Amino acid sequence: MGFISGRRSLNAQINEIENRIKRLLASYLESSNHPELEAHGEITGDTNLVSDFTLDSFQVMEFMMELEESFDIMIDMNALSNTHTVRDLAVVVEQELAD
Amino acid sequence: MALLDKFLPAAAIREQLSAGGHDPTQVVMERIISPTEGIVEGRHTILAGTNNYLGLTFDPSCVAAARNAIESQGTGTTGSRMANGSFSAHAALEQELAGFYQVDHGMVFSTGYAANLGTLVALLKPGDAVLLDADAHASLYDGCLMSGADIYRFRHNDVASLEKRLERLGARAQDCLIVTEGLYSVLGDCAPLVDIVALRNKYGAMLLVDEAHSLGVYGDTGCGVAEAQGVMDQVDFFVGTFSKSLGAMGGFCVSQHPELDLIRYVSRPFIFTASSSPSIIASTHEALKQLKSRPELRESLWRNATRLYQGFNDLGFETGPEISPVVAIKLGAKEVALPFWNQLLEKGVYTNLMVPPASPDQHSYIRCSVSAAHSEEQVERIIEIFGSLRGLLQDDR
Repeated sequence: MGFISGRRSLNAQINEIENRIKRLLASYLESSNHPELEAHGEITGDTNLVSDFTLDSFQVMEFMMELEESFDIMIDMNALSNTHTVRDLAVVVEQELAD
Repeated sequence: MALLDKFLPAAAIREQLSAGGHDPTQVVMERIISPTEGIVEGRHTILAGTNNYLGLTFDPSCVAAARNAIESQGTGTTGSRMANGSFSAHAALEQELAGFYQVDHGMVFSTGYAANLGTLVALLKPGDAVLLDADAHASLYDGCLMSGADIYRFRHNDVASLEKRLERLGARAQDCLIVTEGLYSVLGDCAPLVDIVALRNKYGAMLLVDEAHSLGVYGDTGCGVAEAQGVMDQVDFFVGTFSKSLGAMGGFCVSQHPELDLIRYVSRPFIFTASSSPSIIASTHEALKQLKSRPELRESLWRNATRLYQGFNDLGFETGPEISPVVAIKLGAKEVALPFWNQLLEKGVYTNLMVPPASPDQHSYIRCSVSAAHSEEQVERIIEIFGSLRGLLQDDR
């Protein structure tokens, strides 16, 4: 029972982080006048950070820097190699917050 | 076929870059006339993007040293440093470089890229932490990535951002490595090494400074930005290249730490690379002597850099934050920068085009590198040609 409630709590935490990342991403795309924000529509957990917005490597890294500052964490660059979607990123952030 | 599909984005980039007439990444210099002039597509072209800061590529002493080395030692070493590729000249250059930086230990590598790769993969291991300036050169990124260490980037030249990360590292900070450059090669801005050294001392970290673009340019003796800012004795590792001010190719690392000599035993990019040919080592050694004995080269370099920087500013171009031999102008969108760069080439000035993601932000830049060998007339001609193209930017800026 405790295990299940712990998992629910973790999922809730990740969902909360995911929502915050969505807002940060929308704000970043808007501030950088990214043309594909409107075309893409709603940002979801499955939104791919690179392919859905054709962000280049510089933009991804700049967004990561903003994310780090917003959550007051540091993200190891190696942790990003298998991070593709907003949901993936939420999991990475959750792990950093837990450390 | 799927294996090769990965090149489709590269093909699209090539098409985009070629749309203006010339692909900036594929310019062929048909003939090199001097350190500052060549023939491109049959045209006499002023070379303002070759990082030939001291103009030593045609220096008679350097050319003679290379020629003598070929005649006396042959064309190549045919091996790695650990096997059969260490000649006495390699060891002598290592000693000379270490002495130049007032430390006891030095290593030479076959390229500047290999120097950064070889040093970082040896210094760092999985579990270590490295704090890397966000605008650091690709070779520094690659060395950190290859090491398997935890990589945390700090905002470019932002001391507060660096300190925040050192604080977050807690006890790990005293075992971490801070990695910066002296002079950054796109915008021509220098690292605030005095402040960075203060953090190195406060947290007990180690500091590696890449002086690739600042060797021969900054400091009373030409060691680089750390010398100019008076903190040479508090830098743990200096890395640099022979392919800019020293006019050849290769790289080095020098250090006050005796452990540098042990890197030879553990650094795969060092162990498994053929060593530099004798002619390269000889011309580099001679160029280092010239660098040390002819401060007038730096005076000419700075005079030219100051004139070009001011000339661009007078024309209303947006330049980098400080005068340096790297003079870049911000052009905004790459759709503007690409035709601008093409026009420069067609009018006889070779420069470097920097477009995202290779530029340090979302803007495109035209980057010039100034040489001590540029004549006053050449510098004025560069300014004149840039001025003649000013109209191309009116709508974008």
